[in-house]
Amino acid sequence: MLGQPLKKILRVLIIFLSLSFIIGGYTFLSHRQHQKNPKDKTIPTWSQLKNGVKKICEKNRRSKKRWIVEDSKASAERLFWGLLWGIIGAIVIGLAIGCFPFVEAAFAPILAILAKLPPTAALALFFVMLGTGRNMYIGIILVGILPVLAQSIFLSIKDIPRELVYKAITLGASKMELVWNVIVRQILPQMINAVRLQIGPALVYLIAAEYACAHIGFGYRLRLQARLVNMDVVYPYLVILIVFGFLMDWLLKAIQIKLCKWYHKEGK
Amino acid sequence: MEDIVLELKNVNHWFGSGAKQNNVLYDLNLKIRAGQIVSLIGPSGCGKSVLLRAIVGTHPPREGHIIVHASDNVQSAIMKHKPGRDVGIVYQQYSLFPFLTAVQNVAFGLMLDQTNIPFRAFRPFKWRHLRKQHLAEAATLLERLKLKNAIHKYPSEMSGGMCQRVAIAQALIMKPMILLLDEPFGALDEATRTELQDMLLTLYAENNQTIQAGQRPPYTIIIVTHELNEAIRVGDRVIGLSMNWNWRKDHAIYPGTTIVYDKRAPIFLPEQEIDYAMLKKQKEEISHAVFDASFQQDRDEFRQFWSENKTGRSQDA
Ligand SMILES: Nc1ncnc2c1ncn2[C@@H]1O[C@H](COP(=O)(O)OP(=O)(O)OP(=O)(O)O)[C@@H](O)[C@H]1O
Ligand SMILES: [Mg+2]
Repeated sequence: MLGQPLKKILRVLIIFLSLSFIIGGYTFLSHRQHQKNPKDKTIPTWSQLKNGVKKICEKNRRSKKRWIVEDSKASAERLFWGLLWGIIGAIVIGLAIGCFPFVEAAFAPILAILAKLPPTAALALFFVMLGTGRNMYIGIILVGILPVLAQSIFLSIKDIPRELVYKAITLGASKMELVWNVIVRQILPQMINAVRLQIGPALVYLIAAEYACAHIGFGYRLRLQARLVNMDVVYPYLVILIVFGFLMDWLLKAIQIKLCKWYHKEGK
Repeated sequence: MEDIVLELKNVNHWFGSGAKQNNVLYDLNLKIRAGQIVSLIGPSGCGKSVLLRAIVGTHPPREGHIIVHASDNVQSAIMKHKPGRDVGIVYQQYSLFPFLTAVQNVAFGLMLDQTNIPFRAFRPFKWRHLRKQHLAEAATLLERLKLKNAIHKYPSEMSGGMCQRVAIAQALIMKPMILLLDEPFGALDEATRTELQDMLLTLYAENNQTIQAGQRPPYTIIIVTHELNEAIRVGDRVIGLSMNWNWRKDHAIYPGTTIVYDKRAPIFLPEQEIDYAMLKKQKEEISHAVFDASFQQDRDEFRQFWSENKTGRSQDA
């Protein structure tokens, strides 16, 4: 926004510097803590962390499974289905209320109410209605992200200049073509941005639900290990979540660049 | 044979209601011949854009009729109350789809008009073949408009003048019966403007050739402009909308703007010498009749198009 864009090499250098600052700072803090209390587990040393990672990755004696594998599998599955249904539902509902005034009148108030409901607060509701299986996690993610996503799709549609729609009609577009070839094409980049912004909240809802009632998964493991103050396990799990967040972000951005070349050429 | 393509009958339009009613258009009656280029002029805020929106059909008038005559046959008359393929428009802004390149923008209408979603989904090979033809046709038209280098550019990568030319190509390729241009060259520099005017005039020349061949001319254009030189040079007929007329004679409250000027204008084809004296004379007349607020004439005083031309063709004079 302000200032000239940085040269690539300078950027990399700055990123490298700030990362080494964080790592250096952590090493220093952990070192000082262990001078005070050699048994400290709250700021584990690098070798403690290494042990933690080992614990995460090796086969558990009783269950014969690796934590990282079974937790990732369980959480990823819940997240995937939750996101999938949430996104599909939001696209369908967002498009419907954006394009058809009748649907808008019927659905917009419900969405507005749902958007105000913090799903974590309504956890008991999901529990009662959907049981403790996978459906509950899907339900909480869906209810968490769908209203916001649908509303942002709806708002992007409202932002489309009317002239473009009229123009397409004078060129012979049918109703379905207006939706598919004009409206969806026009809001696709904003739609992808909205999804990008909802990945974080989806994770929050999933972890919260797992914290409360799962027997497997990231939220469950984090709660268990945090109780035991096994920060050597907690920190790597957090790092995995961060890396996952970055990956999703990067993936969606790549999709956006691929599908919406025009969007990335604007303003350059 | 008059060969009317567009007819307005007692068109009235207003916004709001009750005490806040804002009367915009009052009692517009108009017949436009196929093949004319009509310049529509008038003071800012007089309702030119409102009138164009009514003719496109996106915002039909509150009262009166707008009729498009697909041919001389009475049965082919279309009452205009929703937008469709017969009337095309180039807006001053937002005329191009930002997610399509120039050539895709121009080919977009061919796709929408000639195919539908099931065809494109289930006949991919046929569709790809057709698509190639569309793109080739669009590229040829863009080349004719001197946009060869911009064919694969997105609207955000083109200048205002280039976008406007693409927008005109996008509308022209569909061969609409009537093409509406709402201040299409508003924000352009003099040179680009002249170039685009020349382009419209070549269409006019094409019209004349078709007329001589005994067919209905393909391009009927209404162009809104606030530049009087442009109005007179490009249009073969100038229509002025204005609030300056003696409405007080019959009305207690202001009924809206109406047509106060309707006369032939000389056409100067690109290669023709412009007769500046003639141009200046008509310009002064228009300034007086349309733009001079202190001059409240009877609204028929400068409406002589049909009385001075029996058939409405400029060659008949
Ligand atoms: N959607 C609307 N709602 C209410 N009033 C409107 C609307 N659109 C136009 N008007 C009114 O109609 C009148 C004519 O507007 P219009 O845009 O047609 O002017 P114009 O002749 O095109 O002017 P310009 O040369 O500045 O473009 C104005 O008084 C305007 O306030
Ligand atoms: Mg206007």
